Amino acid sequence: MEKQAGAVGAADGAGPNRKPWSSATGGPATGETLDSPTGSHVEWCKQLIAATISSQISGSVPSDFTRDNKARRRPDFMVSKRLTPRQQDSQDEGLYYHGDSDSEHPSNALNLPALRYGAPVTMFQDQVPLLPGESVQTTVKDVMYICPFSGLVNGTLTITDYKLYFTSMERESPFVLDVNLGVISRLETISVPNQGENTKGLELVCKDMRSPRFAYKTEESHPDVVELLSKHAFPLSHSLPLFSFLYQEQFPVDGWKVYDPAAEYRRLGLPNESWAISKMNSSYELCDTYPSILVVPTHITEDDVRRVAVFRAKHRIPVLSWIHPETQATIVRCSQPLVGPSDRRCKEDERFLQIIMDANAQSHKLTIFDARQSSVAVTNKAKDGGYESESFYPNVELNFLEIPNIHVMRESLRKMKDVVYPTIDEAHWHSAIDQTHWLEYIRLLLAGAAKIADKLESGKTSVVVHCSDGWDRTAQLTSLAMLMLDSHYRTLRGFQVLVEKEWVSFGHKFAARVGHGDENHANSERSPLFVQFIDCVWQMTRQFPAAFEFNELFLITVLDHLYSCLFGTFLYSSEQERAAKEVQTNTVSLWSYINSQPEDFTNPFYVDYEHHVLCPLVSSRHLELWTAYYARWNPRMRPQVPVHQTLKELLFLRAELQRRVEELQRDATSRSSSSFSEHSPSHSAGTPLHSVV
Amino acid sequence: MLTGSKTTFKVRQMLPDIKERMLSQSGVHARSRDVFGLRCLPGECVLQRAVMVRKKLTAREGRGWVSGTLFCTHFRVAFVPQDSPKPDDNADPVLLGDHDVALASIEKVVVVGPNRTKLVTPNSSLKFTPEELVLYCKDLQVICFLFDRLTPDAQVIEITYTIAKTYQPLKPGSVLSFQNAALGSVEMKQFLSNRRRNTHMNWFESALDWEQELERCGATGWRVSSVNDRFEMSTSLSRSIAVPQKVLDTELKKSFAHFNEGRIPRWCWRHPRGSDLLRMASFQNNIYHEKDDIRNLEMILFGCQASLCVVVELGEELPSPADVQLAHSRLRALCLGDISTSVSVPDDKWLSTLESTHWLDYTRACLRKASEVACLLRGGHLTVALQEADDRDMGCVVSSLVQVMCDPHCRTQHGFQSLVQKEWVVAGHRFYSRINYHRDNDKEEAPVFLLFLDCVWQLLSQYPSRFQLTDDFLLALHDSIHLPLFSSFLANCQRERCKRSQNLGQSYTPVNGWRDMDSSSDPSDPPLPSVWDWSLQYSKHRRDRFTQPVPPTPPLQPLLNGNLNTNPDTHRLTDTIPGSVFLLSRGIFSCPANLLPWRGGGGGSSGVYKKSHRRAASSENVPGLERLLKAWALAEFPQGLTSTSGPQGPLDPYEPLLPLLMGPCMGLWKECYLRGALHAQAFSHPISANHPHPVERLAREVQQLKDELALVSTGTDTSPPAKMAEPRRADTNLNQNTNNGTFLFPAARPQSASAPRAAPRAAAPPTSTNHHTSRGPPPASAPPSRHGHKDNGGNKHTFLFGHPSVAEARPDQHHYPAPNNAKLPKSNGSSIAS
Repeated sequence: MEKQAGAVGAADGAGPNRKPWSSATGGPATGETLDSPTGSHVEWCKQLIAATISSQISGSVPSDFTRDNKARRRPDFMVSKRLTPRQQDSQDEGLYYHGDSDSEHPSNALNLPALRYGAPVTMFQDQVPLLPGESVQTTVKDVMYICPFSGLVNGTLTITDYKLYFTSMERESPFVLDVNLGVISRLETISVPNQGENTKGLELVCKDMRSPRFAYKTEESHPDVVELLSKHAFPLSHSLPLFSFLYQEQFPVDGWKVYDPAAEYRRLGLPNESWAISKMNSSYELCDTYPSILVVPTHITEDDVRRVAVFRAKHRIPVLSWIHPETQATIVRCSQPLVGPSDRRCKEDERFLQIIMDANAQSHKLTIFDARQSSVAVTNKAKDGGYESESFYPNVELNFLEIPNIHVMRESLRKMKDVVYPTIDEAHWHSAIDQTHWLEYIRLLLAGAAKIADKLESGKTSVVVHCSDGWDRTAQLTSLAMLMLDSHYRTLRGFQVLVEKEWVSFGHKFAARVGHGDENHANSERSPLFVQFIDCVWQMTRQFPAAFEFNELFLITVLDHLYSCLFGTFLYSSEQERAAKEVQTNTVSLWSYINSQPEDFTNPFYVDYEHHVLCPLVSSRHLELWTAYYARWNPRMRPQVPVHQTLKELLFLRAELQRRVEELQRDATSRSSSSFSEHSPSHSAGTPLHSVV
Repeated sequence: MLTGSKTTFKVRQMLPDIKERMLSQSGVHARSRDVFGLRCLPGECVLQRAVMVRKKLTAREGRGWVSGTLFCTHFRVAFVPQDSPKPDDNADPVLLGDHDVALASIEKVVVVGPNRTKLVTPNSSLKFTPEELVLYCKDLQVICFLFDRLTPDAQVIEITYTIAKTYQPLKPGSVLSFQNAALGSVEMKQFLSNRRRNTHMNWFESALDWEQELERCGATGWRVSSVNDRFEMSTSLSRSIAVPQKVLDTELKKSFAHFNEGRIPRWCWRHPRGSDLLRMASFQNNIYHEKDDIRNLEMILFGCQASLCVVVELGEELPSPADVQLAHSRLRALCLGDISTSVSVPDDKWLSTLESTHWLDYTRACLRKASEVACLLRGGHLTVALQEADDRDMGCVVSSLVQVMCDPHCRTQHGFQSLVQKEWVVAGHRFYSRINYHRDNDKEEAPVFLLFLDCVWQLLSQYPSRFQLTDDFLLALHDSIHLPLFSSFLANCQRERCKRSQNLGQSYTPVNGWRDMDSSSDPSDPPLPSVWDWSLQYSKHRRDRFTQPVPPTPPLQPLLNGNLNTNPDTHRLTDTIPGSVFLLSRGIFSCPANLLPWRGGGGGSSGVYKKSHRRAASSENVPGLERLLKAWALAEFPQGLTSTSGPQGPLDPYEPLLPLLMGPCMGLWKECYLRGALHAQAFSHPISANHPHPVERLAREVQQLKDELALVSTGTDTSPPAKMAEPRRADTNLNQNTNNGTFLFPAARPQSASAPRAAPRAAAPPTSTNHHTSRGPPPASAPPSRHGHKDNGGNKHTFLFGHPSVAEARPDQHHYPAPNNAKLPKSNGSSIAS
């Protein structure tokens, strides 16, 4: 499903599958004053984001638009028309209406379909929708939004502790811009020419590839917008709690229960005779960045494990991530060995790997995939790190996957932002993409993961994957390889388990990589590794459209909430920290939200090919830039035909028809049970038509 | 016959022999078929075969390998999979099987041996036994055969040699021998001569055809002139041309001299809002002696729109044929790769290299120009004349693209074929020179038509649900271009085609079928079929994929009529001074003094005329026009539609499909250009990309369910639904399709949005969007009524079986879902509630 329909969605959003489960949750915390069902807030919010975006209309073409630009523009009547109906649905949806002109932002379009609970939430003053737990901090009038696509828009800016909300009634159609504060990377003052003396400019540089700009008048009486924004955008730097801890939403499904390590290992057939579930790390003493439950070989003593831990960076010992149900070949992850310049050895570590090799009777080899560039691995020796020497580890084959480090990735995405926002240079689009090297790195990752998967599947050999610390590239590679190998992870729930397991529990440093609530935007620890992983997943969904149970919207939603700080899922860097902050009790899981309305995130063409191993094509000819995510803020990128929408409708139609067919069949058989089987062919209707898909 | 060196001998020896046997006792031949499963064309003989060969399947075919037998005949390289069904001897001959490739499309033969690859030429000798045989084709296919260890070495080497020697790198002479190999046999000639022309499409060969088109478009004020019937006025124009009614033939004749190659402004198409699209070559002979001359020229140019004419100059912003040729050859080199030379673009340079071919820039330029024109036409009541120096390349591209964008009929298979016939084949696109079949005119070679196909594909990929034809169809057409077998492409203009098909003394008889063979056919000159004779080229299985399964074949009634414009058109240029002419170039309107040479410079010759037609210096009109373009640029929905019919109004089916032209939106037609990508892995997930569009697949399922529903309901005689099913079955196929398609997509929408909701919701608004998704817009003749729809909006049942508004919209047709609406609730209500 290419470019799903994004923008479209608005109209349907609330539509089909709205279930009144609000009553089940015991009613909204905010009480009856709110005429909204619980759960609607998130959607509502997103709706607004979307609406916003779609409502940035241009009355006039800004002067800087060249003729070329003009020509590039195109009508979007589809979207606008689609949006219109909503207007009649509820008064607030007027927000959507943006007439017939080009709506500038594509909207978070994909999110729109997710808005099931279309009804508005708490309305504050001029209709600022609030989430449960959200409070308005300030409202500033006469703020100018400097839209990169359509020029200046005058309106009112509201800042809450979760979002920045800008409305304008200036134009024929209302205009809304809604940016959650978590997504802000840094605040920058900019100069605004020709707008009077005490006008200040503010640019919000966001992590999700956009940078909205505002101009506002400074007045004595007003609190400083920048100060207030920075306080709430970077709460941790101001000793304030993250918004997830204030968020009061209740969902009927508890997403924290999605991942149960014991159940997941049980699914993999563990423990078995070679592998045991160890509680050694239950108090995070062995390794503070590992989860409490680990799978290690049975035939190794605790003391040995401790010695291995000393020999591995950050004490991240080799532990099992996945086991092949038939061959017993395993994916084992760890960090680099602390070989150092003097080529230290560790008998226990060597034995450990030997045991891992022996646990797989199918092969007498073990392959180590070192994600790093070989040159980097060598220089790491000087820093007391290094790599396994093939001469010390018998029967071990060492492969370098030559993937650059987090800093390179960060730079790459930064370049990408310049390419996609705010303007797209159509003549040099392709070479500009090439120059970011983003797709090149995606290719390296996918190729690496494919190698790992192939080694397991075809070579029946166990693999050990590590990079330097074993929490960045290692997580990317193991999770991608598992996605290729195990169809369970390609389901909606399974994917959540995969993320919870390989990323969250194994200590991918989300806090550092994303910088939740932290104002130090220049921190070199930040890097979009999880975005890269999701991009790889998206590339796979493009190549195997029927193999994944989730859809593009799901992936985009996950990425949006990677930054939003609305849910607790991606907060903090390790299980230990999360336990200390009681994240599970104090915040809501992203999966609660997702699993409360799974139909919005479900790929209609999913076919469960249970034992199929996916081998994605990794040539750059077969990779594409995920424009539906990276370039989604550009209004001219909206898809022409609402494919996603049509799909949903057809699915619904199909379900209804199928039901009808079955009903009629029952009817027919009961009526004429004795008659000859004239309608026997119709029984084929009973066979799932999925096979066609 | 074959002009090869050594093989010729062999072939000559074999040919008469086999031919004889085949003619006298077909039994021998039949037996060989039984054994190997290859169904030969009449007169075709197998030169060599190899067993136990595996063919690599492309992504489209599902990837992986299939094993079977490889043949080389003197016409094609054929491959018959092991388990393929026994061929039906009585079926009509099909030139190419699903796995076959014509020798004429092969460009290069490469073998891969242990650790080496070698380009095989007719003279080369092999020093190793190949393991793999790779055929690089002109149509960008790369076909790869893998020889099994079980394939006898002798067979491997022999078939490689045979292919290398018989494939014809096209050169003068080889085309003819290829044609003879395919079509030269007596049976084949007989067969072809009995073939009926496809009557579902318009061939634009006779005056009648053109009149039909005028009628279809509702183009009043135009007539068909046969003044060029003997190609005396213009050799490259067609026999019949559409010109303004008020210009007499005698007057018309005088104007030919004023245009390059005599290609005077001719009518191409009328937009439903009453604008006319014209094509012409550049002005020539700027001497205007008589005022009558000038009057005629003005009349021809303005057509029946007295007020306003916009001349769109195509030369400046669009690529020249040479540009197209260069871009295409770069694209080829990039996409094909080349294992014989191991030159391939590194992965990290792929996009940059793609960009530097400029192919995508050129498709963008064409689409942009066509969008501009489409938007102008949408404004209504003006004449847009496309002007190109010789009016035989970009004129074809732009005029046909405009029609694909604006006219839903042109997005059906037959409509598209008619369009190509009208704007390319008959209009005198130099197919023969541009494709350069004979490799004797490299200077002229330029795949302009392929550029056009790519543009259409771009539109198709952005509006998948608005087309009835599929990219399979485009691909088939793309491939057929490279076969020098079709009369459509083997001539530069209608005159050449007629010359070839008959003695010039005879008069042309289009009624009698494609050509008259009995008399003039001579062995060296086999009759050529038209490219539109698809059943000759491809199996039914492949042809079935030319059209979307569910979407409708829009009825072929005259959809367009120039008077559709019932809405007050706010863009109507009321302030226009009659006779204004503007030039649109680089997106800017201007009225240069010498635009129409006869009006030029306030000169004396046009002095008289100036009085009646004031000089078109009225720059006050420019804003009006620019508004039109801006309307497009700013994506404004024409206000006429929004204001009068409101959000519930139907989408004007003639609202042009305007493509997104941003860099990221111009895609590479991977299914075509990367078909042969050798770097693709052989094994993969069964469901991979490149399959039908998800919507299509789902639509197909829905269709299946519907069929089953109908089936089941007929089974239950007594139940109400049975009655509903009856009339449906009585429907003609066409109608059935139409129904399904039109209501399917629209119908779903309001329902999916409203059904699960408890409160009835105004379902009407979504209809406005319905037509966006509907594949075939409802006929314009039936203005939809909205009331019923609204009432039904909250009714959950309606959508299941039909869209009320659509049902109402086409009262003239038998629409089976309609009766259903009333009945369903009875049988169904409870279950839905539960």
